Amino acid sequence: MGVNKLKTISLKVNGVTKEIAVEDNELLLNTLRDKLGITSVKAACWRGECGLCTVLLDGIPVKSCMTLSVEADGKEVITAEGLYSDERAKKLMESFVKHGALQCGFCTPAFVVTSHYVLSKNPEIDGEELKKELNGVICRCGTYYQIYDAVKDAEKYYKKEKSY
Amino acid sequence: MSFTTPYFTLPKFVYLKPSTLEEALSMLKQYKGKAKVKAGGIMLINLMKERQIVPEYVIDLKNIKELKTINITQRGVEIGSMVTAIELQNSKEIKELCPTLAKAASFMGDRTLQHTVTLGGNISVAMPSTDGLTALMSMDSMLEIKSAEERRFIHSSELVIGLGKNSLKEDEIITKIIVPYNGDVKGTYLKFLNASEVAIATVAVTAHLNKKKFALVVGALAPKPYYFNNESLQWNWEEPVSVNIQRASEIVSKTVEPMSDVVASSEYRKHISKVLTARALKEVFGGE
Repeated sequence: MGVNKLKTISLKVNGVTKEIAVEDNELLLNTLRDKLGITSVKAACWRGECGLCTVLLDGIPVKSCMTLSVEADGKEVITAEGLYSDERAKKLMESFVKHGALQCGFCTPAFVVTSHYVLSKNPEIDGEELKKELNGVICRCGTYYQIYDAVKDAEKYYKKEKSY
Repeated sequence: MSFTTPYFTLPKFVYLKPSTLEEALSMLKQYKGKAKVKAGGIMLINLMKERQIVPEYVIDLKNIKELKTINITQRGVEIGSMVTAIELQNSKEIKELCPTLAKAASFMGDRTLQHTVTLGGNISVAMPSTDGLTALMSMDSMLEIKSAEERRFIHSSELVIGLGKNSLKEDEIITKIIVPYNGDVKGTYLKFLNASEVAIATVAVTAHLNKKKFALVVGALAPKPYYFNNESLQWNWEEPVSVNIQRASEIVSKTVEPMSDVVASSEYRKHISKVLTARALKEVFGGE
């Protein structure tokens, strides 16, 4: 077996750059939850199926249980916590509440992060296309219709300004 | 709190991140037999979590820019092996010149994973349900394979040699996928999933109507996809499309010998491949 030494990676998490010592075999999910205490990133299936650990890595949604921490070196991670500073995302979250787009709420951070990515890319997204874009996250309570309504309703906030 | 059972953690390894192809190939040569190449990494990380693969070194190709390009050359469309499924779907060249592949890419995992999944990784995992290979075979594409010493080309149908086994040597990687340019291309890709989204059968059709030629590949039935073309399907261009489709789908269901497993029985897979064949051909050639 190879000798494992701790590597120091620099990670910009929700706007704050941090130096973190990680092992080569460490998952980004573990780094975020255990070392940085970011609990909106949920650990559920551990095999890239449920999507509850979705974060934005350099603006692109990835499943953090399928990403090595060393891979993310020098990159920017945004989680649901980091979206509070974005006015549009705040409205999106309010829209989730308004439409009752959650039952247990376990999948909500992942849906917020993913739909924020989708809407900031294309706020005029077609309904069928939107359903496809969100198929990476599973809601076991089955509130998909409410989530769809919430995201559709929040489209208008994303249309006003382009840059994030 | 963290889980420590094998299912949730990765075995220990040394992570290497070369920034050029030469560097990656020399690392592969140096650590031959001890290293695994990581493309998107979905399959690799899952197999490592299950301890089915325990490499000493993991060589990540993510930083190699030359593997992420799509070029149009005299040989055809040259797609770098690290091009992701999302890039395949969004690329104008791929949509225009390789419609079958663009559609197949939309089935490679879910939408979030498609940002990570790469074409080279998808075909080299050699599982029956990999969408990339079925599509590439229907397009008659070639693969460029490199090691530190040599470069060779193989046909896409020669890549998979068994369940989860590909014909690459330990120090080789797929660098490019070359789709020949035949002009006037029409294609589609259909995938039939069960309730838990496991593939029962997949069908890829790529047709060059100006040359009166097409290829149909049926995947997810056995370790290797089944290849058919207009000759083996006894396609008669003079006859009505519906008659041809009827005959072609009968031939497909008589030829294929699907595996039986927990996902589906052999008979069911056979039936679905017949139905999908008819649907795919209808989509490409029209007819009622």
